[in-house]
Amino acid sequence: MNASCDHSSPLVSVLMCTYNRPRYLPEAMGSVLAQSYSNFELILTRDGGCPVKDAIEPFLADRRLVFIDRQENRGKAYSLNRAIERASGKYVCYLDDDDAWYPQHIAVLVDALERHSQFGVAYSDLYKTHCRVQPDGRRIVLSKNVEISRDFDRMVMLQFNHALHVSVMHRRQLLERAGGYNETLKVLIDWDLTRRLCFYTDFLHVPVVTGQYYAPVGDCDRISVQQRKNVNDYLRNLLTIRSTRPPKPWPCLPDLAVIVVADQCDASLEQTLQMLWSQSFYPRMHYVPLSSDQLANFRTGIPDAVAITAPQGAAMGDKIDAVLPNCTAEFVAIVPTGLQVEKDEIAFLERSLVPLLTGGSEKVAYELAEATPQRWGAVISRQHLVEARAALASPDVRQSLAAAGIAVRKPEFTQYPFQFDNFLTAAAQVEQSGDWKKAARIYDYIAVEQGNTLWMRTLQANACYWAKDYGEALALMEPINQTHPTPARLLIEARCLQKMGQFERAADRYRWAEAILEARAYRPARGRELVKPTAAAKDLNSQETLNGYVEPDPAAGSRLGAAF
Amino acid sequence: MDTLNRTRLPDRGWAQHFEIVQELGDCYVQLGDYEQARDCYEKAAALEPDEAGPYVGTGIIALQQGKLADAQLAFRVALRLNPQSSKAYAGQAMISHQRGHMQEAFELYLKCLDLDSDNLTALLGLFQVSCAMGSFGRVIEYLKVYLGMHPGDTSVMFCLATLYLKDQKPKIARELLMNILQLEPANTDAANLLEEVEHRLAQN
Repeated sequence: MNASCDHSSPLVSVLMCTYNRPRYLPEAMGSVLAQSYSNFELILTRDGGCPVKDAIEPFLADRRLVFIDRQENRGKAYSLNRAIERASGKYVCYLDDDDAWYPQHIAVLVDALERHSQFGVAYSDLYKTHCRVQPDGRRIVLSKNVEISRDFDRMVMLQFNHALHVSVMHRRQLLERAGGYNETLKVLIDWDLTRRLCFYTDFLHVPVVTGQYYAPVGDCDRISVQQRKNVNDYLRNLLTIRSTRPPKPWPCLPDLAVIVVADQCDASLEQTLQMLWSQSFYPRMHYVPLSSDQLANFRTGIPDAVAITAPQGAAMGDKIDAVLPNCTAEFVAIVPTGLQVEKDEIAFLERSLVPLLTGGSEKVAYELAEATPQRWGAVISRQHLVEARAALASPDVRQSLAAAGIAVRKPEFTQYPFQFDNFLTAAAQVEQSGDWKKAARIYDYIAVEQGNTLWMRTLQANACYWAKDYGEALALMEPINQTHPTPARLLIEARCLQKMGQFERAADRYRWAEAILEARAYRPARGRELVKPTAAAKDLNSQETLNGYVEPDPAAGSRLGAAF
Repeated sequence: MDTLNRTRLPDRGWAQHFEIVQELGDCYVQLGDYEQARDCYEKAAALEPDEAGPYVGTGIIALQQGKLADAQLAFRVALRLNPQSSKAYAGQAMISHQRGHMQEAFELYLKCLDLDSDNLTALLGLFQVSCAMGSFGRVIEYLKVYLGMHPGDTSVMFCLATLYLKDQKPKIARELLMNILQLEPANTDAANLLEEVEHRLAQN
């Protein structure tokens, strides 16, 4: 066993927690200890459950292994927090006890973070490996899909996770600011942590597949999957995560204050607060200005909501004046009670906030999409709102804004968050209708305008194939497969070649894809082929230049396979 | 057991391994490497025992090698697994065709084309059987449907022209042949048949 370390490179702490899964633990541990990057410590915690002595026996001689053997089951969050306390690496990364990394995983992510010091977190892509579990526990691989290969998007990260925890590496010092795992959560503990990290740093996406997580077909024994079956518990955890406000300062995220303007403390106010919680996700504090006689009635189960004393019979302007001295957030949302919001809206506040976050220095307030002259609300920078109230302390806030020369308008649909997801949904609908040519054009547009190039070019090539535009699909897929081959991409290329009557080359691509699925070495017969550069290749080259990586030798997986 | 999760989208579902070995097998058949193809189909069948595709592939290999009994068995298994397998019907039709059971072959080709009007093998088989049996009405309809989907397919246009001629409709045959020659001026088969059609029209 290789226990030698190169101490000139930074130490990495690998945290792993195991509970009742000794069958797969050796593969997971072996994949860590077989990393090409050697300067790491593997902190393995047995979180109660069945003994793992036999499973870890072959690895005990490796001095990089730190084994915490706890009898009592305290949960993953607790175990990882204790492991974090023991960790001394510059970087921290995580692996579940039933997943596996490819040998270059740590090297790729350390290199990314060393070369891009402005990023605190880097993450790669992983295969979701569907498998059929045999009675003896062996896993028959059915597919290896890159389901998520998404460039960092803070809004998505706040709304729901898009970076798989097993693919994440971060600077350890970030935990001193963000805190560790939330031990009160039952599910989504990984997202809770990555969400908090994005308050302090941007994430660097390295679009290289560096490992795999298993997804058994049929009933799944994954603890996280089992725990998600309790819907109420799941939703409670989701709201807890979304209401978590890590310690300030937040260098990457301006704070938001929501002023809920209510005539009185009644059911309509509580409904509005509930709606805010279920239909917005941006971190914020809620302020409810109420007259002193109403204040005593104010009770809510919603977190981060405080009542502020306002004068009796105060108008909206006066209520805002009462709140402003109490909040320091960079942006303010004014929300009246009783707005009619569609039930499936998930970005109620964000539709008006995002144009401000991404816009320039223009003095503008974006109205809430549902606002009416009678029930008016908007999002605005706190500084502009203070200026407006100083210019004219009118009961009508709109008059104050006009007096300060601040424009008021509704956001355009194109300014809403999740534009990329909207385009993707549109493309999927077009595919469903069978218009693959149009879908290909949409993917091309997304790749150019919205990024996520590798992913979009793959979808575009697939759409071209089903549109029977085999030449175009091939032109897109060939250069990508030279550097970023995956079974899905090779399958598209092979099918095109087969349709074009190039059976030898098609067979070569199928064999290559099969080798990746079976974690075997394969040398594709590509030396004799001339691949013409395409527009897609140009996009990808620039993406690679940015990140500096190409897909590793597909034979890499074979070393992992050979170990077991 | 979960049913095979097939999708037209990349990186989705769990049919990938099966599809790769199945389609690799099809590729080997095209290359004439039947041993490799058989290995692939066996592997595909092991991955997804309820899928008909590998048995169709095995049947095609047996058919190519003249092992009609083996082919028949394989297509039967395929049809048991998937009664809607147009390719298995086409395979059975080809067996009947080779055995000289024209009526049976005719019916089986029709069954195949009812399930998949795009199956060129069945279409051309049906054309041959129809010529042998002197029964043209239904096959003309199928060829017309096919040409609606593949307007430039000159080989099917030629078959259709032949059938029209046999069905005593030389004027329609002439029109089709002239269309072929517009697309492929060097198509000697079409030119020769056109000459024959012109001759027949002149005699009338």
